[in-house]
Amino acid sequence: MATSAPLPPVPGAHSSTDTVAAKLKRKLVSLIQPTVLLGPAGIWLFLLLVVPTLMILELSLIPGFRPGEPAGAYGLGNYTKIFELIDGQPIYLWVIARSVLFSVGSMLICLFLGFPVAYWIAIMAPKRWQNLLLVSFVLPLWTSSLLRSYAWITILRPTGVLNSLLGVFNLPPVDILNTQTAVMIGLAYNYLPYMVLILYSSLEKLDQRLLEAASDLGATPQQGFWKVTVPQTLPGIAAGCLLVFITNLGDFVVPELLGGASSMTMARLVYNQFLGATRNWGFGSGLSMVLILGVSIAIALLLKYGDQKAEDF
Amino acid sequence: MAQTIAKNLPTVETDTKYDVELHNVFKVYNGETAVRGIDLGIRQGEFFSILGPSGCGKTTTLRLIAGFEEPSAGEVLVRGKSMVGVPPYRRPVNTVFQSYALFGHLTVWDNIAFGLRIKQKSKSDIQRLVGEALHLVKMDSFARRYPAQLSGGQQQRIALARALVNQPTVVLLDEPLGALDLKLRKEMQVELSTLHKELGVTFVMVTHDQEEALSLSDRIAVMNEGRVEQIGTPSEIYDFPKTPFVADFIGETNLFEGYVESVDAGLMKVTTQQGLSILVKPTAACNGSTSDPVVVSVRPEKIQVTLDAPGSRINCFEGRLIHTMFLGTHVHYVVQLLSGDRVTVMQPSHVNGSVSAEAPLYIHWAATDGLPLFTQPPSH
Amino acid sequence: MPPVHPSDSRFSGRSPRLSASRRRFLQLSGAALSGAVLTNCARNIGSGSTDASPASPASSSGGGDNTLHVYSWSAYIDDDLLKSFEQETGIKVVADIYDSNETMLAKIQAGGGKQYSIIYPSDYMVGQMAELNLLSPIDKERVPGYSDLLAQWKSPSYDVDNKDSIPYAWGTTGLVYNTEVLTKPVTDWSYLWDNKKQLSGKMTLLNDVREVMGFTLKSLGFSNSSKDPKQIEAAYKKLAQLKPAISSFTTDGWRDQIVVGDLLLSHAYSVDGIDAMASNPKLQYVIPSSGATVWTDTIVIPKAAPNVDAAYKWIAYTINPETAATVLARLKFATPNRKTLELLPKELRENPALIPPDAVLKKCEVLANVDTATDLYDRYWTQLTSG
Repeated sequence: MATSAPLPPVPGAHSSTDTVAAKLKRKLVSLIQPTVLLGPAGIWLFLLLVVPTLMILELSLIPGFRPGEPAGAYGLGNYTKIFELIDGQPIYLWVIARSVLFSVGSMLICLFLGFPVAYWIAIMAPKRWQNLLLVSFVLPLWTSSLLRSYAWITILRPTGVLNSLLGVFNLPPVDILNTQTAVMIGLAYNYLPYMVLILYSSLEKLDQRLLEAASDLGATPQQGFWKVTVPQTLPGIAAGCLLVFITNLGDFVVPELLGGASSMTMARLVYNQFLGATRNWGFGSGLSMVLILGVSIAIALLLKYGDQKAEDF
Repeated sequence: MAQTIAKNLPTVETDTKYDVELHNVFKVYNGETAVRGIDLGIRQGEFFSILGPSGCGKTTTLRLIAGFEEPSAGEVLVRGKSMVGVPPYRRPVNTVFQSYALFGHLTVWDNIAFGLRIKQKSKSDIQRLVGEALHLVKMDSFARRYPAQLSGGQQQRIALARALVNQPTVVLLDEPLGALDLKLRKEMQVELSTLHKELGVTFVMVTHDQEEALSLSDRIAVMNEGRVEQIGTPSEIYDFPKTPFVADFIGETNLFEGYVESVDAGLMKVTTQQGLSILVKPTAACNGSTSDPVVVSVRPEKIQVTLDAPGSRINCFEGRLIHTMFLGTHVHYVVQLLSGDRVTVMQPSHVNGSVSAEAPLYIHWAATDGLPLFTQPPSH
Repeated sequence: MPPVHPSDSRFSGRSPRLSASRRRFLQLSGAALSGAVLTNCARNIGSGSTDASPASPASSSGGGDNTLHVYSWSAYIDDDLLKSFEQETGIKVVADIYDSNETMLAKIQAGGGKQYSIIYPSDYMVGQMAELNLLSPIDKERVPGYSDLLAQWKSPSYDVDNKDSIPYAWGTTGLVYNTEVLTKPVTDWSYLWDNKKQLSGKMTLLNDVREVMGFTLKSLGFSNSSKDPKQIEAAYKKLAQLKPAISSFTTDGWRDQIVVGDLLLSHAYSVDGIDAMASNPKLQYVIPSSGATVWTDTIVIPKAAPNVDAAYKWIAYTINPETAATVLARLKFATPNRKTLELLPKELRENPALIPPDAVLKKCEVLANVDTATDLYDRYWTQLTSG
C-alpha cells in the first residue's frame, strides 16, 4: 500500500525539488526565449542571406561556371581573372576603381549637400515644421529612381534645362551629360534623401547644451560646430556615408544612363556575367564575393569605429 | 579680456566693487515675461545665490549673465563693462551647467582643456593648468576616462574643473548639486564652499534649495514670478523677511492675514479674517496705520505649547492637537485653533513629552516674535 | 533567310528590344535593383478575367483543361487578347511576363516554370532551350496556316524546319538618324567611321555586346557571330577607333535626345527606331546595306507543359492572321506570315524600315551562338566600355 499510494510530501524535500524544478524551468526559459525571439528573423536571414551567399561562394570557386553546363573542378580562376591584363591594362581593376570613385564622389556630394539641410531642419527650423520639411525632402523617393535618372538626362543634355537656364544668364553652356560628373550628380540626387534622414536623426539628438557649454568656454559658433557638433554627430555621418557608399556601389542604372560610353561599373559587370551575353556565373560570383567582402569590411570598420564613439554618450 | 581673467584668480579684492550688475533687466519669451525688472549687484569674491521656486526666472537671470540670452530691456554689466551684444564666448564668465553638459566625445582631460585650447594657450600651460584643476577637484586619476564612465558626483567635479580652469571673473552655477543624492549633495556643498574660499572667485549659484542657499551663500536674492523679492545675508533673509513670500519660502512659518485694528503703546493690534487678535511689534518697513492690510509671520519654533492656560493672554489661543511628527531633536505639532486656523509649532522634543490628541491646549508667543509684513511686494 | 549559322545553343544575350522597350527597361532595372532578377515574374496580366488561385502552379501541373499559363514578353499580351481567347475557347489564361530571355531561362531552369504551356523565347534562346531539352516538338498538323510562313522563316537558322518553335514576330537592328542635319543618306555601317568627327558626342550605340560587335564584324565583311579570335579582335580594334566619338552605350536613353535633336544618330532596334520616326518626322530608320541583325520571337511549348491542348489552341488563335495583324500593327513588328502581312496597314506593309526589300534582308543575319567565344566578346566589351 505504501508503495502504490503517493508519498506524503516531506516539507524539506518538497521545497528542494521545487527549487530544482524552478531552476530548470528558468534555465529552459532562458534558452527558449532567445530562440523564440531570434528564430523567425534568423531563419529568414539564413535562408535568404546566408544560404545564397554560400551558393555564390561555391559558384565563385568554379572557374567559368555556366548554368546548364557540367561544372568544372574547383579553383581560384574567377578571382585571378579580376587581375587579368587585357592589352596590358588591368581592365577589371579599373572597373572596380571606377565604381569606388563614383560611390565616393556621390557620397561626398551627399554629405556636403545633406549636412546643411539636415542641420537646418534639425536645429534651426521651427519644431512644428520639422516633420513636414523632412517629408517634403523625402518625397522624391516616391518616384522610381529610374524616372529620376531619366529626368537628369533631360536636365543635363546639351539643349536641356540646365543649359537653357545658363543661356538666360548669358553663361556659356556646359556639356556634363555622359561624364563621370553626371554620374555622381545622378547618384547623389538619388541617395541624398537617405543621407539627410540619417544626419537629421543624428543632429536632432544633439544636446544643444553642449553647444552652449562650448560657447561658454570661449568657442565661437564655428569652433563649436567643428569641435562639438561634428564629433558628436560623427556616428551619424559615418552611417550616412556608408549607406550611400554601399547603395551607390550596387547602382548600375545611373552610371549606364548618365555616364556615357566609359561607364562600366562593378554592378553592371556582375549583371552582365549573370544575365548578359556571356552568362559566366562563375566569374560573376567571384566579382560578387569581392563586392560583398569590400562592403563587409566597410561595415566592420564602421561598427568598430562607431562603437568607440557611441559608448561615450 | 584674457588678462582680466588671469589677473583675477589671485586677487581677492574686498572692496564693494561689483563683479556683476543687472540694471532693470527684463526678458520676454514669446510674449511671456520671465524676468520683470531685476536690479542686482554681485560683489567681487562673494558667494551669491539666486533662490526661488521653479519658474521664478532664476535660471533665465543666470543665462542673461552668461550671455545665452540677451535682455529684452535693461543692461547686464560684468566688471563695470556693458555686456550688451557681447556673445557668451567673449564674456569673462564660465558656467557649471545643471546637467554638467560634458563633451561625451572627449576624455576628462580634453574636456577640461577645451577652453584653454580655444584660447590657444601653450602646451605646457595647458598641461599645468589642467593638472591643477584636476587636483583641485580631487580627480587626478580620472584624466583618461570618458564622462560616461563617471558617476554623477564625479561628472559634477569635472564640470566644475572645466569652468574653473579658465580662471573666470565669475563662475556661474546652475543648480550644480540638483542631480545628486542627499548625502553626496551635503559633501559637495562643503567642497564648493571650500573651493570658493580658496579661490576667492565670485560664485553665482542658482538653486531652489533654500537650505543649500542659506548654508553656502554670503548673500541671497530671493526671486518670485520674475522679480527679486529680497536681497540679503542668509540671517537677514531668515529673520527679517520683507514679504510674506520670502517668509513662507525661507524656512517654515505661520502666516496670519488681517488688517491693522489699532496702534497702541508701540504695538500693532492685527485682526485676522478668522477673528483672531494678534499683537505685534511694528518694524521700520511695516509700521502701518489703522486698516492697512498686513500679514503676520510667526516662525513655528517661536510658538510655545502649554496644556494649561498661560498667565499672559497676549497672543494666546486655545486649540486641539491634530497631528504630531517626531523629528528627533524636535517635535512638530499641527494645532487647530478654535477659530479654525491651523498653526505649525516646533518644540524641542524633551518638552511636553505627552500631549494627547483630545485635551484642549494653548499656544502663545511674544509680541516681538511675530513679524508684520505688507502683502504687496515692495515697489521698485 | 541568309547565311545560316547553326544556332544550336548558347546565348547572344540581347537586351530588350520590343516596342514597349522603355517600359520593359524600367521593369528590368527596377527588378534588378530590387534584387529580384532571377525570380522575376513581374505581374499577372488579366488576373481580372482569370482566377489564378484555384489553378495554382502546383495543381495546374496536373493539367486542368480550363487554365493556360503563358510566359511572355509584356508586349505580346494584352487584356483584349486574353478576353477574346477565353470567350472563344472557354480556357482561362494566366499570363506572366519576363523582361529578358535569360531571366526566363533562369526561372525555367530553376524549376519555377512548370506551370507554363506557352513561352515566347527569341531565336537564339530557342536553340539553347532545345539543347537543354526543355522544348517539345511542334506538331505542324495542329498549327493552322503553318504553310503561310514566308520562305525565310520556313527553316530558320536557329531552329531547322521549325522543329520546336513557331516564329511569331521579327524585326531588325539598324540605325536611326536625323535627316535634317545628316543630309546625305546613311546607307551603311561605314558611315559611322567616315563621319566620326561630325557624329562625335552625338551618337549612341546599343548597350549590347553582340549587337555592337556584330555590326562591326559585318562592316568588316565577317559574320556577325564570328568565333574567330582574329576577326573579333579586328572588330574590337575598329570599334576602339570609334569609341571617342560615342556618346554612350544605351538601349533606351537615346530616344528623347534624338527626338529633340541633341543626338544625330543612334543604333536601335527597328521597333524603337520606327517609333521615334513617329515622334519626329525628320528621323529615319535604316537597315544598313551590308546587313543587320534580324531577330525573331517565337512561340514554343515546353516539355513540361501541363496543358498541351490549350497550348495548340493558343497558338492557332494568336497566329491567326487577323489576330496577329491587330497585335503586330500596334507594336510595329514585322510578321513572318504571308497572310498576316497582307492584313497589315499599307504604311507598315510597305515601309522598308519595317520590312526591308529582299536584297537587304538576304544580307541580314541572326545572332547565333558563339560558344566559348562569348568570354572573348565579354572581355573586349568590358574593355571597350571601361577604357
